[in-house]
Amino acid sequence: MIPRHFQITMALVLLAILVSGVVIIRITHKEEAMTQQAAEAAPVAPAVGGKQESIRVLVAYDDDQALRWRPVEVFLPADRGLRAKETLRSVLAQYQQSPSPHPLAKGADIKDVYFLNSETMIVDTTAPFADGHPSGILLEEMTLTSLIETLTANVPGITKIKFLVDGKERETLAGHADLMSFYQTAAVHELAKEFE
Amino acid sequence: MRWSKPRFALAFAALWCSMAYTGATPEKQLTVYSAQASYSLPVPERSGKAYIAANELLTPLGATITHGKGKEWKITVNKAEARLAEGKDKAVIRRQDKALIRSQQVDLGGAVLVEDGRMLVPLDSALTLLGQLLNTAVDFHQPSRRIFIGQSFTRFNAEYKNGDRPSLILTFTQPLRRLDTNHAEERGALFTHTNKTTLIFRKDPVVSDVNKQEFGAGAIQSMVFAEENGSASITVTGNTKLQMIRSEDGKTITLQPEAPPLAAAQEPDAQNTPTAAEGPRRTSEFFVMIDASHGGSDKGASFGGRQVEKDITLRLARELRKELEERGISARLVRDADIDIGLERRAEIANEQRAGIYVALHAGRPGKGVRVYAPMLADPSQAAAGRFLPWESAQSGALSRSRTVAQTVAEELRKKGMAVSILGMPVRPLNNIVPPAIAVELAPEGGDIQSLESPKRQNTVAAAIASGIAQIRGQMGGRP
Repeated sequence: MIPRHFQITMALVLLAILVSGVVIIRITHKEEAMTQQAAEAAPVAPAVGGKQESIRVLVAYDDDQALRWRPVEVFLPADRGLRAKETLRSVLAQYQQSPSPHPLAKGADIKDVYFLNSETMIVDTTAPFADGHPSGILLEEMTLTSLIETLTANVPGITKIKFLVDGKERETLAGHADLMSFYQTAAVHELAKEFE
Repeated sequence: MRWSKPRFALAFAALWCSMAYTGATPEKQLTVYSAQASYSLPVPERSGKAYIAANELLTPLGATITHGKGKEWKITVNKAEARLAEGKDKAVIRRQDKALIRSQQVDLGGAVLVEDGRMLVPLDSALTLLGQLLNTAVDFHQPSRRIFIGQSFTRFNAEYKNGDRPSLILTFTQPLRRLDTNHAEERGALFTHTNKTTLIFRKDPVVSDVNKQEFGAGAIQSMVFAEENGSASITVTGNTKLQMIRSEDGKTITLQPEAPPLAAAQEPDAQNTPTAAEGPRRTSEFFVMIDASHGGSDKGASFGGRQVEKDITLRLARELRKELEERGISARLVRDADIDIGLERRAEIANEQRAGIYVALHAGRPGKGVRVYAPMLADPSQAAAGRFLPWESAQSGALSRSRTVAQTVAEELRKKGMAVSILGMPVRPLNNIVPPAIAVELAPEGGDIQSLESPKRQNTVAAAIASGIAQIRGQMGGRP
């Protein structure tokens, strides 16, 4: 005959094991879901090779309404187009950090860049870059200025840039900043001074 | 014996209906809109219940109808069939879905009636029958008796254009059938009265999310959209008779006063000799075109809760108009209602009406105070060729005057104790505007979102902008 107190203890132990098992399974599932979610929101293009370089990127700081240069280490390929693309992505990477000085939507990335000639470049962005961009004149102009200035500082010789969203022209970034025009980098350089 | 009661009831109902029905009452209609066809059907009443002829409803959609056993009818569309029987209030619908055959009994809400070869089913069952047989999205606007099959909607955007000759531009997503004054029942109609113009759309699947828009107290005052008896209508009310202009592609209808006001035909004022960039002035009056940014489906920036940029800018625009008029300066609003207007159209309105100054109003994060933007050409190398200006740099001839306006307005805002920054930026549509143009962006004061809607703060900003414009209107072509 098993004593009654022993039966109760065993029952409690079994119950504790069962509850712990359920909790562990739920935590595991949650982590898997988060990992999958993070993978889906990750940049669309895989990381490229190249040698690690220290470059300067112009970062927008919403709180100060300012743009400031920041050094970053990135792998930059020798190819000019790939170099331009990775340079732009290094700016967006700053905005994807947490906390972010200038939050952009998850999935905001550069799909591709094309040179129309040696001086004119088309930048094709992902849909979340524009669809999820916060609306506001200043916020939108700070994004474009930081991208264009960083690009011209690290990939010389580009004089005109135009932005596409998911391969198509769009009137504005999020209701304000012009995306129809070609941006002349010299004019943007003057604009950037206003944010210093 | 079992069927005698319904037959008797049917005969009585038919007699009663034929006696009660008079030509004075418009016949009840149901209209069906689909990719294949748009058609209207009569909706007879039997025993107080609205009925529809199932064969007339389904045949134009490709259905074949055959007699089955006894009083049974079989309706076949593609891989689906429905079996209905006279006197029964249930139908059996069978649908082949890949290798599966699904069978389902549906309630028709009333007995099936057969009259002169027409199989009448309760109107309420039309949605079920169509949805089950066609296996596509069916939308039934029941009060107005309009059925839309497969998302076959024609939506429209109403754009009110203020000016010497105000107009209401209705832009539809699909070409419309030609409206006619003689064939109202067949296609659609246009009715004009002294102060009311009604467009009736019977065969066009016109729908709208907005039922009423107000435009002020001028020649065009309001627009009402309604659906009734198998058709839709747009009624425009004003203080004069309107004429309708239909575009070649059938997608745009413009309503405007029949006789243009004299001002529209005036010669350019000698004192306001136009520059090559600006072209001739339509009127000698100097006025400020105020553009409350965003509107309609474009909400602009969201500030949490129900605060959105489009509402803040409209209130500020009305306040600015009031402040300008108190200083003796005419002002017009690009939009005075919650309506969609594209950025390019905003620029066209300002350019066509020869505004003296264009002021776009915005509200947005981050920071505090007010930001005043002057235009900046993204690509200054685009130059004017004679009298023609590239659209993307139409502002090129007025850049320096725009900066003057921005600086003067900013100075007035500072005098009111506000934190102000002036920036030159390629904000759309400033670069497409021919006259001097600025944008003013109101930021939350100290992070307080509520401050964006504060009447006191809006009044302060509006008064400062108006004071700035009053100071420099002499330089901008207006009377000092």
